[in-house]
Amino acid sequence: MPRTNDRRLAIAWLALSAITLISLALMPPHAHAALPNATLTISVILVSLLKVRIVLREFMEVRHTPRWLAGFTDLWVVVTGVALTAAYFGGIAM
Amino acid sequence: MSTATMAAEPAPSHVPGQSGMWFFILFEAFLFTSYFTVYMVCRGRDLEAYLASQVHLDIQVGVVNTLVLLVSSWSMARCVQSARGGDLSHALKQAALTAAFGVGFLVLKVGEWAVEIHRGFTFTLNDFSMFYYFLTGMHFLHLLIGFVFLGVVMTQLKRPTSRTQVLVETGATYWHMVDFLWIMIFALLYVIR
Repeated sequence: MPRTNDRRLAIAWLALSAITLISLALMPPHAHAALPNATLTISVILVSLLKVRIVLREFMEVRHTPRWLAGFTDLWVVVTGVALTAAYFGGIAM
Repeated sequence: MSTATMAAEPAPSHVPGQSGMWFFILFEAFLFTSYFTVYMVCRGRDLEAYLASQVHLDIQVGVVNTLVLLVSSWSMARCVQSARGGDLSHALKQAALTAAFGVGFLVLKVGEWAVEIHRGFTFTLNDFSMFYYFLTGMHFLHLLIGFVFLGVVMTQLKRPTSRTQVLVETGATYWHMVDFLWIMIFALLYVIR
């Protein structure tokens, strides 16, 4: 395998793993129930969707696919982000 | 390095694997988005109860599971690129690694469920526990199906045919879906407040 391809995949994996571990470090210890935190929640959702997009574009090779397919995957990312954010605040407002 | 290994990058506008798998992936992704959305609405309506129940989950186990699936996705991607480059032996090793990591996730998940159930965190305990077992259970089913695809991938790599690359990419596409769905499930069940 050409070194550039292998290196690119390795970088993607390292970034994904680092983001996952950093998230853990930022979590408050919760032997007891945590307090609600909208900023943290929305940030986690957005960061998770960023991770998904890295998986899509690097591991699933969406960056090489036709524009219609890349567009659909990006559409899913956007729709999911909007839906989860709206659902979070909508549920609280109910 | 042989010329064959220089072909690891796909051609521009290449659809990895069978197009039908991509339509399935997108359908499943939007379906899970609907599950996630319902969960978030219900969570918002009873936030304190959901947060109180969330303490039953061990975020460290969730992180380990996430890391395991991420590395399995990495090895699967390397499998695809090696196969495309003509190095089927290396591709097969990467596919075997992917399967091993998948088994690792499976064992951790079943163990986690066993501990949680033993401690009284059962499906019927409350709404959060219902969502937890539903989402992780649905994901688990998809993981099991993923092993079938891995089996096809490894068989193709051992006895290559004219369809080997297409089938390897198709199987890999499905496996990556299992990974990215877990990324979202982990965030929504274990991490968000």
